[in-house]
Amino acid sequence: MKKIKSYSYRINKNDFINAGKVSSEIKKNLKKIGFTNKIIRKLAVISYEGEMNIIIHSEGGGIELEIYEDKISLNIRDIGPGIDDVELAMTEGYSTAPSEVRELGFGAGMGLPNINNCSDDFKIASSENGTKIESTIYLE
Amino acid sequence: MKRTFYLEKDKCKGCTNCMRKCPTEAIRIVNGKAVIDDDKCINCGECIRVCPYNAYTSITDKIEDLQNHKYNIAIPSTTVYGQFALGTEICKIHNALIGLGFDYVYDESWAAELVTKAIRVKVNADKNIKPKISSNCPAMVRLIKIKYPGLIENIIEVEAPMEIAARLAIDKAQSIDKNLKKEDIGVFYISPCPAKTLSVKEPIGKDKSYINKVISLKEIYGDMVRELKMHDNMCYSNPSLTGLKWSISGGQTDACDFENSIAISGLENVIDVLEELELGKLDHIDYLEILSCNGGCVGGTYNFENPFVANSNIKHILKALKEDKPKNEFTEKFEELNKDGYFDIEIYKKIEEKKPNIKEAIEKMDRIEVIYEKLPKLDCGSCGAPTCKALAEDIEEGKKTIDDCVILKLEEK
Repeated sequence: MKKIKSYSYRINKNDFINAGKVSSEIKKNLKKIGFTNKIIRKLAVISYEGEMNIIIHSEGGGIELEIYEDKISLNIRDIGPGIDDVELAMTEGYSTAPSEVRELGFGAGMGLPNINNCSDDFKIASSENGTKIESTIYLE
Repeated sequence: MKRTFYLEKDKCKGCTNCMRKCPTEAIRIVNGKAVIDDDKCINCGECIRVCPYNAYTSITDKIEDLQNHKYNIAIPSTTVYGQFALGTEICKIHNALIGLGFDYVYDESWAAELVTKAIRVKVNADKNIKPKISSNCPAMVRLIKIKYPGLIENIIEVEAPMEIAARLAIDKAQSIDKNLKKEDIGVFYISPCPAKTLSVKEPIGKDKSYINKVISLKEIYGDMVRELKMHDNMCYSNPSLTGLKWSISGGQTDACDFENSIAISGLENVIDVLEELELGKLDHIDYLEILSCNGGCVGGTYNFENPFVANSNIKHILKALKEDKPKNEFTEKFEELNKDGYFDIEIYKKIEEKKPNIKEAIEKMDRIEVIYEKLPKLDCGSCGAPTCKALAEDIEEGKKTIDDCVILKLEEK
């Protein structure tokens, strides 16, 4: 199906000052378009978790929101160390977040599992150069 | 939607104060006067509060309306107790209302304690949707309906204390005078804010309010102060410790006593938290108390006293109160009312959500973006829209033109 529109957002490493801004912006745009509450809720959670992952674990990256006639994709990409053991990282509660991040209330080990749970399709690829997540929600 | 206040156009200078404060961007300045979009207004009363020219006038019932009923009951909002000099006896406050012509005074706080119990039952019965959001502030329920429809199902569907108080007051009156018919009785609520006033005129979650008339506290405050003495020898009920807490921010969560709860007061703070809630950040919270006015209901615009002083007055009363009702009797009363459905209302009817026309919506957003890029992004409000973004939207919808931008015009010269 044809792509209608895409939006790109940059996210910087360790940028806790702006944490949540990108996902709020994505949410705002989705609301304006008029998607159903259920779809907005899922995408809001996915983009928030993705945004926090980039801030906490990577050297920086971005989110691309792609809107198709029948689906919405979020491509969450970063440059960084990558994930050593993807399967382990998908386990609820498993976290590699440093303690100063946990003290801020983040890094509970729910990021990737939450993204997975909210996605209809979920793809992840990680290497020492960085991580790519492609999360898709189908429009009913 | 109906509103419980209106603008006196002669007094309005078009100063933009209300427009900037409006949480739903419902106000525009058109031809030098404020205009409210009723589809967006949540009747929170911020515009009334911030208007430097007192151009907004409340629509409230009058004490003369007592003549319409044979028997009149006053239900003072729990905030009323915080509006008089420190140490003023509750009994005298009740009697001041008798002095104004009421036949009976019914305390709202015991109803608030009953509702506290009902909230505990309801929250514990449904752990699927978290957090549950308090429905006590009608402005906040309307805010969620208009701005955060995805959170409607988080709102707890429980009847407001003022409504429970009204029903119990009618029962009480009929038990005192067996010959009284329901239609003989006028139930008056003494309201702290326009939002609660509207919830009587246009109830949320049910067809009709049990309250007949609503008088703003400010409307009768002076008369109450003059009548602040014993008029009959009767002392009406002392307030409930748990229920009286509802009048101040944090009191409801304190009363409900869930493991994890958050109390937020003040519109801007509430909006911040609801935005976070939409990102799925607060799933670990059981209960969210959200109140439109800073400091909670004592901050309502119809109160006389400064909210901080009123808070201190309420706390002074709370300190002196003891749990003075036999627990068993109260629990039995609760069980009986709960079984009869007193606490049940229906806030969210299942609405079929419309499928969006994605292409059309995105094209519109693109057009707005192109207009927005031309604007100075100062959000000065001189054009009569609250932000440059709002002006861009208004221009796209044909309500305003780019010539309305004062800054661009100055730059042209």
